[in-house]
Amino acid sequence: MSGYPGAGPTVHDPMTLPVDDNVNAYTFCVELKGSQWFLQKGKMIAYYGSIDFNGVGHGRLDRLVRTSFHSPLHASDWVVAEGSGKMLLADRAFDVNSYDLDNGNLTIRSGNLLAFQPSLSLKQSIVPGFLTLIGTGKFVAASNGPVVFMEPPIRVDPQALVGWADCPSPCHHYDHGYMTGVMGGLRALTGLGGASGEEHQFEFVGAGTVLLQSTETLMAEQATGAVPHQPGVPGGGGTPGMPGGHGGQSGGPRLPGQLGDLQRRFGL
Amino acid sequence: MGPVPSTPATATFRSVAMFRLQGSKVLAVDMTGDAVKAKNGSMVAYDGQMTFKKLSGGGEGIRGMVTRRLTGEQMTVMEVTGQGTCWFADRASEINLVRLQGDKLYVESSNLLATEAGLRTGTSFTGLRGATQGNGLFTTTVEGHGQAALTSDGPAVVLRVSPQYPLTVDPGAYIAHQGNVRQSFQSGVTFRTLLGEGGGEAFQIRFEGDGLVYVQPSERNTIAGDV
Repeated sequence: MSGYPGAGPTVHDPMTLPVDDNVNAYTFCVELKGSQWFLQKGKMIAYYGSIDFNGVGHGRLDRLVRTSFHSPLHASDWVVAEGSGKMLLADRAFDVNSYDLDNGNLTIRSGNLLAFQPSLSLKQSIVPGFLTLIGTGKFVAASNGPVVFMEPPIRVDPQALVGWADCPSPCHHYDHGYMTGVMGGLRALTGLGGASGEEHQFEFVGAGTVLLQSTETLMAEQATGAVPHQPGVPGGGGTPGMPGGHGGQSGGPRLPGQLGDLQRRFGL
Repeated sequence: MGPVPSTPATATFRSVAMFRLQGSKVLAVDMTGDAVKAKNGSMVAYDGQMTFKKLSGGGEGIRGMVTRRLTGEQMTVMEVTGQGTCWFADRASEINLVRLQGDKLYVESSNLLATEAGLRTGTSFTGLRGATQGNGLFTTTVEGHGQAALTSDGPAVVLRVSPQYPLTVDPGAYIAHQGNVRQSFQSGVTFRTLLGEGGGEAFQIRFEGDGLVYVQPSERNTIAGDV
C-alpha cells in the first residue's frame, strides 16, 4: 500500500515506534518498561502493551508522590502511568517536544506540561499558573508552534512565554509613559488613542534560558485552585489570572466589590 | 495515472480518480470523466470542467437515506464529476489518504472528506464506543477498492494492530480504523473516578485482530474527557 505517492502515511507498530522520542511534531512516544511516568490527564491518545493509569491520590503511589510530586493543587490533573509498553502522548495538535534536565530547574506554564519522569520533582512555582521541575530526567511539553530558546536579558510578551530555566523569576515591565494615569488606563483598556498592545512585558535578567512559543495563542490554563492562605505567600487570597490569560475557569473566587486585576494594575 | 487494480472484476475501463495531497491540508483530485464523493462545500478550487451535484442523505439511495436519518450519522455529500483537477479542504484540518483494497474502513462521518465514487458507504452500529466519543452510536463505513481522504486535527498517526500487539486508544483521539479488527470498550470507572481521583483515562477502546487504527494528536471533547 505504500510506494505510491500519497498512498498514506507510514504505519507504526510497537517495533517501529521510537523510544522516548517524537513520532511526528505533534505526537510523542514514551516507552515504559515497568517504570513510571507522571502524566497530565487526558494527554494519552493510544498505547500498546499493558499500562495502568492511576490518580495521584492512589494509596499505592503514596511513596512516589511523596518524593516527586509537590503540587497538591495540581494533584487532580495528574495521573501516574505504569506498566510496560509504548504510549503516545499528544495535546490539541500542538507541537510537543521532550527536554532533558540534568540536575537543573525549569519553570513552565502548567497547561504546557504533558508528562515527566519521577526522577524529576514537580513543584508549584511562586509565580501563579507555573510549575517548576527540579532534578534530573526527561519531561514532555507542548507549545503552540515550535519553541524558541532565548538568553536574558530579554523582555517577552506574556502570551508567548512558555517557561524559563535556571534564571531568576521574571518581573513585570510596563511602558509607563503609556500606562499610568486615567488616560493611560483608558487607552490600554479600550485600545483607543493608539495602544500598540505591547505596553506590558515580562522581563528576565541574569543567566539562564527563556522558552518562547512562536504564537501568542495561549493554551487553555488548568484551574489550579489557590495557594495556602498564609502571610507571605503571593496570591494567597486567590489565583490572579495571568495577564492576558483566558483560562476556562481562570481566577479564584473574588471578593464582592473588588473590580479585578486590570483596574488595580493601572492605578484606578 | 493511478495504479492498475489487480482484481479482474474492477479491471475494466473504469478510469480512476487520482487523489494526491498538495501540502498537508489540501486534497487535489485529478479526474478524467469519473466522479468522487466529497463532503458538501469542501471544494476550494477546480480547473477544467466540473459539475457538482448534492446527494441528499449520503448517496446510498433511499434506504441509506432513511438509515442515516434514523441513526443520526448524517453526511451531506456532493458528487463531483468532470475532467480536470478539483481541490478540497475542510477548515484547515490535516488530510490523510487511505487506500482500500476490498477491506472496510470505519470512520466518523465528521472525519470523512472524500471518497472515490466506486467506494460504497454505509452506516454501522458502534455501541458504547460511539457514545464516549461524542459522535453518537453509529459510524460510517467505506468499502471497496479505491482511495478515501480523512480529516484530522493534526496529522494522524497510523498504528498497526496485530494479534500479538493489541492497541488501546483514547476515544477522543480515535478517527478511523480498517481491516479485520475487533473492538471492545473498556471502562475504568471506579469509586475513585467519582471522588475526582480517577486515572484520567477512564474510557478506552481496545482493538484486537489485524488492521490499522488512525488516531489524531488531539482529543475531541467527550463525556469521558474529564474522568
